[in-house]
Amino acid sequence: MKARMQMSSSVVKQEFFKKWIKGMQIYSAFNKEMTIMERKRAIKLSADVAIASTRSATTQWSRAVVADVSTSAAGAARAAAEEILGRKLPERKALATTCSKKIVRRSHQRRSKAAARGVVRSSAAIAKKLVRNRTRVLKRLVPGGKKLDEISLIKETLDYIACLQVQVDVMRHLAAAAESLDHQQISF
Amino acid sequence: MDKDYFMSSGIIPPPQPLHFETSMPNPWSSDQSFFNPNPSIIHQFPHFDSSWTSIASSTTAAALAPPSLAADPGFAERAAKFSRFGSRSLNGRTSPPPMSRGSNPPAAELSTPPLKPDGSPPPRNRNSGENSNGESSVSDQIPAKMNSRKRKAISRGKNKDDRSNSPKEAAADGSSKRSKQSENCENEEECNKADQKPPEPPKDYIHVRARRGQATDSHSLAERVRREKISERMKLLQDLVPGCNKVTGKALMLDEIINYVQSLQRQVEFLSMKLASVNPDLDFNMESLLSKDMYQQQLYPLDSSIYHNQNVQHQHLQGTTISSVDPLPLDASLGIDGFSENLPQFPAFTEDDLHSIVQMGFLQNSVQNQTSNMKVEL
Repeated sequence: MKARMQMSSSVVKQEFFKKWIKGMQIYSAFNKEMTIMERKRAIKLSADVAIASTRSATTQWSRAVVADVSTSAAGAARAAAEEILGRKLPERKALATTCSKKIVRRSHQRRSKAAARGVVRSSAAIAKKLVRNRTRVLKRLVPGGKKLDEISLIKETLDYIACLQVQVDVMRHLAAAAESLDHQQISF
Repeated sequence: MDKDYFMSSGIIPPPQPLHFETSMPNPWSSDQSFFNPNPSIIHQFPHFDSSWTSIASSTTAAALAPPSLAADPGFAERAAKFSRFGSRSLNGRTSPPPMSRGSNPPAAELSTPPLKPDGSPPPRNRNSGENSNGESSVSDQIPAKMNSRKRKAISRGKNKDDRSNSPKEAAADGSSKRSKQSENCENEEECNKADQKPPEPPKDYIHVRARRGQATDSHSLAERVRREKISERMKLLQDLVPGCNKVTGKALMLDEIINYVQSLQRQVEFLSMKLASVNPDLDFNMESLLSKDMYQQQLYPLDSSIYHNQNVQHQHLQGTTISSVDPLPLDASLGIDGFSENLPQFPAFTEDDLHSIVQMGFLQNSVQNQTSNMKVEL
């Protein structure tokens, strides 16, 4: 079982690496010269789409990442993503979300009023509040987490963490390799 | 303490080798592997399931026998004592304490790894429900029996009392979630036990059997199912997030998880920035050179060998890792490369270097053969 787990992990790493490189190539095909910020954005986007595609849309967060790219990306980014995924991305317009300030302000006031009035509640209620706040934060962190219920949120987080670990691992190794190459060249 | 009850009640304690769950965390921690379904563990479930159902049926049959212990006054104190004990034992058993993994009660263990996709909640819940039913009936047979008889006489007011007490003691423990579980368990113990044989609760599509002595109204059952699911998943998360073993309770766990996710995301940002700032000649051109036609050539015949070699030569891991960490074995190890001759001198040098260094990382999980495959791939 251990060997199986290991095998799947490195297989995913390879898959991610290949897809990532592919994406970056598309970018460099589009424009040879990029500023450093553009390059960083290219690298990050390719990495995100690549790691999301290793899940092949089975998880909510991977679908959310792809949807995010398809709405907000343009030109080179879109081409890179399509190449990685192997399919066309549907054209989508970003939804404009506007919040009426008055409503938001009123709801906040109401909540703060209740909080100010209440005495220290039981510890259970405090714990619940903590959990609720943190769940909200987690929903914000995990892509596509906003519309998930608690149970599937935790499940998605599991998968997301595992994939982030892969991503960081591969990127770190590439960075180390590139850095030492850099040193070598300079020394020459 | 629980073992004594087993002995005295004449019930065989559950078979010990239920620690297969302990084998689960190791793959997680050793390398960063995935949340993959693991059929080997799942197949073990039905086996234990049958043993549990047999125990459950035997104990419920035995528990049916003595009816008339209702109005014993001395019973009150004993029941009160045992109720407290019962709650604690249930506490220790049914709610998943993250630390005591090895001694985790079988029912919690059995229901823990939700490795199947959610397409199969009904069988899983049924299993967990039945197992926990059996387990709680076994462990709490003696205290619960007295509890139930006694509780029938005592009104629910006493339980409300307990319920108000136990949050305090649970707050002292620092995990209110567990207290709620325990108090629900101990309260509901009587209601259901009163029916002796809990009728199959009319359920929606998720079939959960109510535990002995638990309320059968759909709300609390659904609540319980939901809580169990959440706790199962939190346990898995504990294995994935480093440094989470000592943390108990949802709030703290969530805190750790949030910190970890944030740190990983920040690392990705930082690393992509770092890679972008690398000498431009290297990075994008490098990539193009790396994955040109080269990896097409020899990839496919070697694919199958990857899977074999990894399992077989797992032991050689250490040796190969160490050897490859040696600074930049330029020509020696990489003369094998088919494409090193194709490229002009300078790129060949850098590319081979890059390969050897990339190997260092990938070698943690692979074997020398595989890395040579990867060299070719890349």
